Amino acid sequence: MRVLARTLAAALALGAAAVHAPARAADVTFGALFPFSGQLALLGEESARGVEIAVDEVNAAGGVQGRKVVLARGDAVDNNQAIGEARRLISLEKVVAVFGSYSSARSIAASQVAELSGIPYFELGAVAEEVTGRGLQYLYRTNPTAEDMAKLAVEMIVNKVAAGLGKKPEDLKIGIIYEDSSYGTSVANFQKKFAAGAKLNVVTAQGYPASTVDMSSLVLDLKRRGIDVLLQTSYQNDSVLFLQQANEAGFKPGAIIGGGGGYSMQPTADAVGHKVIEGVLDTDFTQYLVNTKYTPGIESFVAAYQKKYGGLPRSGHSLNNYVGAKLILQAIDKAKGFEPDTIIKAVKGIDVADGVTAVGYGFKFGKNNQNERAAMMGMQWQNGKLVTVYPDSAAVAPMEMRK
Amino acid sequence: MDVFLQVLANGVMLGGLFAIVSVGLTLIFGIVKVVNFAHGEFLMVGMYLTYLAVTGLGLHPFAAVILVVPVLFLMGALTQRLLIQPLLAAGDHHIQIFATVGLSTALINLALLVFGADIANTPSSGLRQPVEIGPVRVLLGQVVILGAAIVLVAGLQLFLARTRTGRAIRAVAQNRAAAELMGIDVDRIYALTFGIGAACVGVAAVLIAPLYPTSPNSGTYFVLIAFVVVVLGGLGSIRGAFAGAILIGLIDSVTGFYVGADMREVAVFGVFLAILILRPSGLFGRQLRLSHVSP
Repeated sequence: MRVLARTLAAALALGAAAVHAPARAADVTFGALFPFSGQLALLGEESARGVEIAVDEVNAAGGVQGRKVVLARGDAVDNNQAIGEARRLISLEKVVAVFGSYSSARSIAASQVAELSGIPYFELGAVAEEVTGRGLQYLYRTNPTAEDMAKLAVEMIVNKVAAGLGKKPEDLKIGIIYEDSSYGTSVANFQKKFAAGAKLNVVTAQGYPASTVDMSSLVLDLKRRGIDVLLQTSYQNDSVLFLQQANEAGFKPGAIIGGGGGYSMQPTADAVGHKVIEGVLDTDFTQYLVNTKYTPGIESFVAAYQKKYGGLPRSGHSLNNYVGAKLILQAIDKAKGFEPDTIIKAVKGIDVADGVTAVGYGFKFGKNNQNERAAMMGMQWQNGKLVTVYPDSAAVAPMEMRK
Repeated sequence: MDVFLQVLANGVMLGGLFAIVSVGLTLIFGIVKVVNFAHGEFLMVGMYLTYLAVTGLGLHPFAAVILVVPVLFLMGALTQRLLIQPLLAAGDHHIQIFATVGLSTALINLALLVFGADIANTPSSGLRQPVEIGPVRVLLGQVVILGAAIVLVAGLQLFLARTRTGRAIRAVAQNRAAAELMGIDVDRIYALTFGIGAACVGVAAVLIAPLYPTSPNSGTYFVLIAFVVVVLGGLGSIRGAFAGAILIGLIDSVTGFYVGADMREVAVFGVFLAILILRPSGLFGRQLRLSHVSP
């Protein structure tokens, strides 16, 4: 038994040595921890592509502190593997910092490992509130959150939708529906909070499991209540299902405002039908049909993406990850050395105004190490395309309301 | 009143959907005594095949039956022969369960590899047309699913009751050793039954694909309720599965409308637990038959 154990240990040590081919002295390694396989693979991969393009551009401009940036990928297929891969990146790949993670649950799990090792963790795409606010010193988040998504939806109702429907905001009957995992629930809770703050009349708020195969009873209920504006926070399957069943049951509220996920994706529009989704609003990360004066650099990003991956970006995730990663790498470039505290100090100094980067929103880390200038945008499906309609500075088309 | 009828109609349609997915599962469960956790993934594979047949070959979704059903039959029979059969000797049913869970994960990831995580849309080919029946409104495709579920259940009942093969299948289910002694090729019957069960879910896939987008996870959406339906109806009772499916559909729909969307699962699983406590063998299940326990 002991012999076996010793042989195993030796084999493991050999294996580890073989895997851990030392990076050249001139290189510096960063981790890219995303779900590359499993259910979240599509947008996990999409997010990582943004980071890869940022690294390409930084390397083309001379690298970080004169050293070439190398990305070590970690596949966070589930929460346990996210932890395991974070450990591997830190102890074997010797990364100086980790970029991640698209999924909030993976981010929450993996960032704790990084925190214990004292390695900076930069979250570029996960939206749950709980990612920040856990008192972690080495976790920083660049992207807007669930709270920002809810805030924007309420803002759009008050500033644009109500007038478009010819009613006062407080006279509108608002319905909120959401998939009942932590994502939908947290967005919906913020929607209720902001709606109450704006004195909106929320008539009903109902959760449902994202794996549902039937929403007809919910649709009937919303129809009976005479909902004017419906907010849905959902994934793709339930977005498609709801829009189809609402259409078939003749439920046509003045406005439907979706939250990210399924609502921003072209296959959703194709599945539902362009006629059915026409006029539907959406709150999400910055998308591509946007006023380029507010998002300088977005065109060259799309060009770089097309060149590298041979197709158009599949969602706004790559763009948001790209801008976040690039700003952080540029900030570290100005520092001296790659000690965790040096990196953190450099990143804390980032101060970028709105309308300067390719995502539009600005960057400055505030309370809980969250980017306090991060914001979402409002989009609308018009003629089968998702165009930005809110805020005005980013809009490429006016918001169109059916009365 | 009209709204109530509409809620009931929605419930029956949903029940039809659950029924058609559950029929194959209950057959495999009842005869082969294997809990097939890959059942939902068989459905998913069938939906992708339908998608390919419709978009690639330009077939009407229903015509895809001639392709999907034989492929699924083969898939089921092979699963039994290559995966389950070798494990029967192990004598421990848990191992077969792990094997089907593994098959399920493998199929999901295979689909992710081949098709990606994005949804695939089978053209609805007119099946999303609403049909007005009196005061209620349902989709043509839903009516077809309900009709097909009834035909499938009746057909299987007749097959099991009246044909020689059907009797052999029942004999194996009742007492494997005795059936073997009577000269029935038990292994062949198992493979055949697994194949028929999978073919049933192939029929379901062809009918569901035009109504729901297909993704690698599609199967998981349908299959949890299918397990509830199978247990509720009485393990292995095909009529029971049908009745259980309609019941679950009605509870889901009525609760969703009158109580709230977030209470639907509470109601469904609450009734499920209550029935199991009162009738442990399910709605149509017979009392525990010791003859099931093969030596």
